[in-house]
Amino acid sequence: MKTFLYALVIVFSLLSGPARLLAQDVSYEQLLHADNTPQDWLMYGGDYQSQRFSRLTQINRENVHSLKPAWIYQPNHPLQPFETSPVVVSGIMYVTEPLSTVTALDARLGTKIWSWSPHLPEKIFTIGVHRSNRGVAVFNNTVYVETLDAHLVALDATTGAVRWSVHVDENGQGYAMTGAPRVLDGKIIVGISGGDVGIRGFVDAYDAKTGKRLWRVWTIPNPGEPGSETWGKDMSGTGGAGTWGTGSYDPELNLLYWTTGNPAPDYNGSNREGDNLYSDSVLAIDPDAGKMKWYFQFTPHDTHDWDAIQVPVLFDETVEGKPRKLLALANRNGFYYVLDRVSGEFVAGVPFVTQTWAKGLDKNGRPIVLPNTEPTPEGSLVYPDGHGGTNWNSPSYSPQTKLFYVSAREIGAYTVAGQPKVHFPDFGGGGRNALSGDDSYGAIRALEATTGKLKWEYRLLAPAEVSTLATAGGLVFSVSDEGNFFALDAATGKLLWEFTVGGTSAESNPITYEVDGKQYLIGASGNCFVAFSLP
Amino acid sequence: MNVVRRFRLVALAFMAWTLILNAFHVSQAAGQESPTAQVSPASAAAPAAPADLEQGKRLFAQNCSACHGADAGGGDGPDLHGVPASLGDPTVQGIIRRGIAGTAMPGSSTVSEKEAANIVAYLRTLNSPTTSGVVTGDPKKGEALYNSSGCPACHMIAGQGGSIGPELTRVGAVRGATNLKARLQDPGANLPQVGDGPFGSKWTQYLMFRAVEKDGRAVEGVRVGEDSFTIVLKDASGKFHGLWKPDLRSLEKEPGKSFMPSFKDKLSAAQQDDLVAYLMSLKSAQ
Repeated sequence: MKTFLYALVIVFSLLSGPARLLAQDVSYEQLLHADNTPQDWLMYGGDYQSQRFSRLTQINRENVHSLKPAWIYQPNHPLQPFETSPVVVSGIMYVTEPLSTVTALDARLGTKIWSWSPHLPEKIFTIGVHRSNRGVAVFNNTVYVETLDAHLVALDATTGAVRWSVHVDENGQGYAMTGAPRVLDGKIIVGISGGDVGIRGFVDAYDAKTGKRLWRVWTIPNPGEPGSETWGKDMSGTGGAGTWGTGSYDPELNLLYWTTGNPAPDYNGSNREGDNLYSDSVLAIDPDAGKMKWYFQFTPHDTHDWDAIQVPVLFDETVEGKPRKLLALANRNGFYYVLDRVSGEFVAGVPFVTQTWAKGLDKNGRPIVLPNTEPTPEGSLVYPDGHGGTNWNSPSYSPQTKLFYVSAREIGAYTVAGQPKVHFPDFGGGGRNALSGDDSYGAIRALEATTGKLKWEYRLLAPAEVSTLATAGGLVFSVSDEGNFFALDAATGKLLWEFTVGGTSAESNPITYEVDGKQYLIGASGNCFVAFSLP
Repeated sequence: MNVVRRFRLVALAFMAWTLILNAFHVSQAAGQESPTAQVSPASAAAPAAPADLEQGKRLFAQNCSACHGADAGGGDGPDLHGVPASLGDPTVQGIIRRGIAGTAMPGSSTVSEKEAANIVAYLRTLNSPTTSGVVTGDPKKGEALYNSSGCPACHMIAGQGGSIGPELTRVGAVRGATNLKARLQDPGANLPQVGDGPFGSKWTQYLMFRAVEKDGRAVEGVRVGEDSFTIVLKDASGKFHGLWKPDLRSLEKEPGKSFMPSFKDKLSAAQQDDLVAYLMSLKSAQ
């Protein structure tokens, strides 16, 4: 009888057409092979390599010109523009809204299914931190989100009910959380914000089922530990190396790649003589042991706020006749880097925007810093500005074109050294005055992934803090700071489609997915999410 | 480009420009992982320490003088003499740190509460007449000159006049006298920069562009709206031209240029002062 009933239910489900099975149960196996389900967008960066490359081809070079809005979603109480990178599982989309709200939407219709907001304290310290959120992670019917007051919360994917919530660190001391977690097999990996006010950065792993902390990797050594000698006489009044980006993962090497932000005080390094390890670095972490295997520091002794928090893009390619496992990162400091992701060895590095602070990189990838490029009390003009040659917004890599697509910011700033302020919450060491919009510009640049050589660029008005998305349809999608969504030919950079949404910022990472045989592209500008599809 | 397309673009670009301008309001909220303070804890109610006037003076020179004049007598921004007295110190300190939404006044992310208090204390010491802010002319004569020199054809004051140039209803409240005189003499030079955009960006106001469309037709005008794909220019007759950038043969900035004629040789020095005195008297909202 039971069997008969089940059969009846199944037949009914099949007959009822568009009503889909809404299963949000994501297994580690699925995450490992995200490429096999291009209709979903299972995690930050699309896959563990963070390539942001979709295998979907329904929207392609030939038809993208007819792309039209399918639906628009706006939060009820917009507080700040979106920065989220949506996750799509079996037709359900999970986005985050400022400050730390999670919303589940029907990905085909844009209809809200549930929404969850934490009870945030009235006063939250977010100095130097965007009061926004960059997205969730989904694993085993659970949605994981970081909150502005530094909690990690696990929500039931079907209802939004809280399964557990853990206190990661003290917001009252400047720790805040804005990033998207990374899920490994049973582990939730998170980073921390607050580096500008002298917190001590770390990367944490939590048990996905219970919320129990499994390990913490500090990004700044304790006094006396190896690396502490890179912080001057003593380490008082210093800190930083926040970890507010999301890392990437190589399951074969079992290495997690997580990046770190600037040392503090930011624009005045006088009380932190030395390289300031492990600020502005990428750390390769063994996620079972919770131990750092190697690190590579991009900007030793940074005095320009060049957080290295760009997501590392993992790809395999032949270099000088040898197959290599590589990691690419376009840095806020203006250089594009290619590293060997097995060893951390420097492979290549070139400027991808105008930069005036380094003569170049030496054979180990260390910058050869030019004289008179430090901030001064009067202000010294240096390219790029503090928001960098590109900011945290994700680039993309297409295995078809072997190109790396990045939002490039052509802008300099007068960097001003102030007295170091080292007593939280008054923490800092100066600031910057960026050049005017009319003296700067932005561009989407396509770089040869193994060398960083410029293949093409598409110019934008303002130096944009935006992300790119590459697809097997031969397209690169992006958005301008002014809220123009557009598609370029991935091979040539030719403009193929544009749609103006407007909005004050378009920092969110666009993604693509498919429901009921229809491919959608979704991005946010200002307080609007806009999903596009073919008519 | 057909008329409908053009109209749509005008509307879109106008919207975009409005949004760009609106973006200037949120700068404080957008110092992406940069030293911009989002929430400052209320400073403990400590007994007021004597103000550090030297620091206030130095910070004023660094942060404020470019717009408000070296002696705070006004420039692209208004004369600040008497401002702390009329608004109160806490208000002015708040403005220094957070800016004024909808105006060119940005907040400074790097100035602490104490430093803002020192800037205000320094402003309070400025009682002596200024050089840059001094108004020597006769506003009555200036008003007559304003009307006889053709200004109302392009500029609007309290709802009366043309709409080709900027509205002047409150120009005396937002600009300094020296600045206005310089503008009379060389209208296209040193155009004001507005905004402290989401990423600290400022943009030149009233900048002129020359666009050449694919068919060779040229449009010259003042930029009223722009994004990465569109630009809207206002021509000498006040007409808007919404242009789709990828369709243009060329698009050039024309720095230094203005539709407004120079009055350097058209009016005597005394007449220019009279005209400035009249403009500086325009301070009240309509």
